[in-house]
Amino acid sequence: MSKLFFRWSLALLLLCSGAAHAAEFVVIVSARNPLNAMSADQVAAIFLAQNGRFPGGAEAQALDLPVGSPLRDDFYRSVAARTPALMKAYWTKMVFTGRGHPPRELVSSVAVRRMVADNPGMIAYIDKSALDASVKAIQVTP
Amino acid sequence: MILDFAPERAAMATLMMLSCCAALAGNATDSEAPGAAPRWTLGGFGTLAAVHSNNDQADFTAHALSPGAAGYSRAWSAQVDSRVGAQLDVRFNSQWSAVLQLLSERGLRGTYRPVVEWANLQYQATPDLSLRVGRITLPLFLAGDYRKVGYALPWVRPPVEVYGAIPLSSSDGVDASYRWQAGATNNVTQVFYGRTDIPATPGARARSHGLTGLSNTTTSGALTVRASLLRAQLSVDVARQLFDGLRGFGAQGESLAQRYELENKRSFVAAAGFSYDPGQWFVMGEAGRMNTDSHLGDKTVGYLSAGYRHRDLTPYLVYSSSHANVATSVAGLELSGLPAPQAAAGAALNAGLNQLLAAIPRQHTISAGVRWDLRPGYAFKLQYDRITPHQGSSGTFINVQPGFRSGQPVAVLSAALDFVF
Repeated sequence: MSKLFFRWSLALLLLCSGAAHAAEFVVIVSARNPLNAMSADQVAAIFLAQNGRFPGGAEAQALDLPVGSPLRDDFYRSVAARTPALMKAYWTKMVFTGRGHPPRELVSSVAVRRMVADNPGMIAYIDKSALDASVKAIQVTP
Repeated sequence: MILDFAPERAAMATLMMLSCCAALAGNATDSEAPGAAPRWTLGGFGTLAAVHSNNDQADFTAHALSPGAAGYSRAWSAQVDSRVGAQLDVRFNSQWSAVLQLLSERGLRGTYRPVVEWANLQYQATPDLSLRVGRITLPLFLAGDYRKVGYALPWVRPPVEVYGAIPLSSSDGVDASYRWQAGATNNVTQVFYGRTDIPATPGARARSHGLTGLSNTTTSGALTVRASLLRAQLSVDVARQLFDGLRGFGAQGESLAQRYELENKRSFVAAAGFSYDPGQWFVMGEAGRMNTDSHLGDKTVGYLSAGYRHRDLTPYLVYSSSHANVATSVAGLELSGLPAPQAAAGAALNAGLNQLLAAIPRQHTISAGVRWDLRPGYAFKLQYDRITPHQGSSGTFINVQPGFRSGQPVAVLSAALDFVF
């Protein structure tokens, strides 16, 4: 009985830790960027090419992870309330009216972090586990 | 004279623009480290669709300028909404870029010869101000500039009463877009100036000059609002024989011809629309008014639509209508006292004029459909439309036969597969 209970507990623990490890994103800017917090709408506006500037007026350029990456889908669901299909429809109308292109894509959270660290005008989202002191996680308020 | 290019020459003009730009880009000292070489992007979109109409006395069409026809010409038609487009984007540096979009759909002569939908050179003067020269699609209504990209639309096609209402779709000229912020809103204000010269019927062209427009799009979270204005001197050379005939009847004929002929008439379109889309569902609506001071009439059009997203399925509803602000039947020439042969000719002209005016749509449509996002880049849609032209109007239908009865609802069924690549 206690053995069975132990097994179930272990299974549950593994399941929970699995969920916790299912990549959580953080929104980052360069450590040299003075910003500490932005609203989800402000972040979304930059990634959707509706605004080319940070709050405060500095030029902003967004970076993306590849299409189909779970972190990317999760990011747009959270900040822009858009599923991958809605994001595809959004960029379809921007691209085919010559109004804009999706952010540049880099292959991994580490590659994105390196790029943001070197460029104070950039903003991106990465896996929380890839965070280090070269970049700054900003607080995203609802 | 870029303002003067014809569709046939536009591709060549763009190629010339591209090579000029390449030269410019070569000389520019571009500080942007990545992308020093021009970046080329090729993309495309398309729709494969079949449409059925249960009325064999007139043809259902999505837009008078690409008259795919279901109903009278054939019960099922693949030509109403099917099309394919390809777009080449070239980015020379952080400031200069160019777009060329070719579109193949059923044209007025029944062929699928590709036409240049977009062809322009863009200069990003500041991060917020961009200037373009060349051909742009008119940013009228919420979806006016991407109405042919089915994948970007929730429906099979935009409501016909609203998006089919003007015989213009693009402007050859210049435009400027300025992106600005006010409080929590993001705005894009676009002004454009240009001209148009496109085929309007197999034998006639639609021409406009002094095409001047203003469009403003405001986005705040899930809410998007767009207002647009356009004015132009418009000429569409249709029913030439009818107006020449009327002129044969002296002053009264001359006055009717001047009133209804679409020859260098001051025309305007004003429209406002909103979309609220928090993700799980959407609601959107638009209203517009257009007056061409001619037989195309003065119309008030609008629609309201809502949909709900459940996994990959998005069922939706649309109500749309077109209201005529002018008489759609007139007495025409006064024929009493004329000799019999002349009176008969006059009566025929009066009938012709009234047939033209009956095409000013008095119509409403209820549509229900579902969009299925079956895989990334593909959407399948089924839509049912119940279209009711009324008060003697033949609505948005074309090829109207004598047996057509206004007031009788027409059922239209559509299936479409949209894709982007």
